[in-house]
This record gives sequence, C-alpha cells and structure tokens, in this order.
Amino acid sequence: MGKEKFIPFLALIVIIIGGISTAYVYATQIDKDTIALNGQEYTIDQIFYLGDIKTIQTFEGEKTGVGLDDLIKKIGVGCPACYEYTIKAKDGYEKTVNWDIMKTGVLSDFKRVFFPETAKAFWVSDIVEIEVK
Amino acid sequence: MKNIKLVAGILLFGSLWGFSEVIIGSAIQETGLPTGTIMTGFFVITFLVLSRMMYRQPGMQFGMGIIAGALRLFNPFVGCHLCSAIAIMAEGAIFELIWYKISFDFSELKTVITQSSMGIISAYTIYIGGYIVTQILTPIASGATFYIGNLIVFLPRIFSSGLIAALIGGVVLPTILLTKKIDITIKDKLYYPTAFGISLLCWLIIIGNWFLA
Repeated sequence: MGKEKFIPFLALIVIIIGGISTAYVYATQIDKDTIALNGQEYTIDQIFYLGDIKTIQTFEGEKTGVGLDDLIKKIGVGCPACYEYTIKAKDGYEKTVNWDIMKTGVLSDFKRVFFPETAKAFWVSDIVEIEVK
Repeated sequence: MKNIKLVAGILLFGSLWGFSEVIIGSAIQETGLPTGTIMTGFFVITFLVLSRMMYRQPGMQFGMGIIAGALRLFNPFVGCHLCSAIAIMAEGAIFELIWYKISFDFSELKTVITQSSMGIISAYTIYIGGYIVTQILTPIASGATFYIGNLIVFLPRIFSSGLIAALIGGVVLPTILLTKKIDITIKDKLYYPTAFGISLLCWLIIIGNWFLA
C-alpha cells in the first residue's frame, strides 16, 4: 500500500479509535453526589462535618478544605502510613499518592483535592472515590 | 550561516508557539473551551507544519518544542506548569517522528484527502502522545511515584479527547499547505532583526503578563 492510500487509511483508524473511546467514556462515566471513602459513601456535607477544616498554601494561593490527614484517620484507617491512596474522579482520571503526600492535602467543598507541593496533575477534580489500598 | 538562520527560525517559531500556549491558551481556557485540543489542532499544527515547509530541516520542530516548553515552564515563574511544559516538548519530538518519512517538499500530500488525513493523524498523535508523556513524567519530575494503573484507566478519556484536535488538524493542515504557493523572501538584513525582534517581543509579553497578573 502506497503512502497516498496508507495515510487516509490511518486517519480513518484514528477517527474510529477516537469515536469508540468517546462512546466508552460517556457510557462509563460515574455521576453521583457522594464520595466513597475506603468503600463507604459520604456526602460532601458529612465529610465537612467529620474532618477538621484547614488552609494550605499552594502555588495558586490559599486553599481551604477538610484536612486529608484528619479525614483518613476519622474514617477508621488505623495505620495511615501503611497504605497508598488512589483518588478517583468521575471521568476516570485518578492519581495514587503515598501518605507523605496525602497528609499534606485538603478536600475542598467543590470535591477537589489540593496538595501544597505537588504538580497540578495531582489536584484531582470531581472526586467520586478515595480508595485505601 | 545556514545554521544561524535555522537557530533564529527555531527561536522565532518556538517563541510564537510558547506565546500562543501561554497568552492565547490562557485566554481560551477562561472561555471554558477545550484549550488543549484547540491549541494542538490549530496553533501547534500551524507552527510545526509552517516551519517544516519554510526551513525543510529535520530536528527543527523538536527545538521549537524545547523553546515553547521553556516559555510555558517559566510562566508564571513561581507556578508549577510542569505538565504542559513537558507535553509541549514531547509534542515537538512526536511531530518529528510522524513526519520522518514525509519528504520536505510534501510530495506525498498531493490531494486534499491525504493532506487532511495527515492533519488528522498529526494532531491526534501529537495531542494524545503529549498527554500520555506528561502523565508519565509529571509524577516522576515532581518527586512522586508514577503508577501505570492510573494511566491505563484514563487512556479511553485521552483517546476520546484527541478527537476534536484531530478534526481541527484535518482542516488546518490543508489550509496551511495552500500558502506553499505564496513566495515570501526576506533578505538576511531584515530576517535576523525580524526573527529576534518578534521572539524578544513574545518573551517580554509573557514575562510582562506575569508581572501584571
């Protein structure tokens, strides 16, 4: 197959991959009001009632929310440093962090986590779950 | 002399690319439109293909990516824009790989269909490639750990989001190739001051933008 035929063929494959992925993303998107913490569902109001509020300084200014260090202890994780934490968003985006990072962060009332010393890629938005593993 | 001309070209197009990412990209982001896909599909494809068409030098687009990524990385100076800076640098390198087998006179891209197809392939691959590279390197570069599982579950979303960039690229590339017929010749006397002047202006606006922010 010459380049004149191969290039349009490859473009078609690209469009098909993009199209199937889009259909898959919409079909699997999780839409719920609660956040699962270590397997148990909580509303954002319950989370704010449960944990201590604190403010941290990030490169984008101050961010206020529930301290993740306190929250993790309050939901009954006995040895926080023994686990890793996967923070999952409703669109499938997720980031796994260790306790050293987790304990520095906050969860805002917009269901977004912030960490003072990580790249923005770790500030997961629209959180649906924090898995302890 | 040819090398100096190429370096000036890398600086010029790299600075224009960086300028568009920082200034125009930020403005698009405020409107709520999908910034990354528009930036890749329109601006990145424009600068990369235009520079390839004008200078016909392999490696130039990778150099442009480094200049543009550096501009993104240092604006604002105190901020962490590591993800997008790495993505921009990766985009330049990915473009070089995709276009490696395409001749510098673009003789393979005679019909609008092949031109458009090449635009779709380039924009899509550059976009998702940059996205994946940054997902791998950002945790490592910022002192955290990279987990392959985090990337795998998010791949459908990355593949999906590249579709808009691909469609834009499919329109933009044939349009740029139309300018092949326009003959613009700038004398050396004017070329260097123009290239360095525009580059300097881009850097000054970006730095000035940070001070004003």
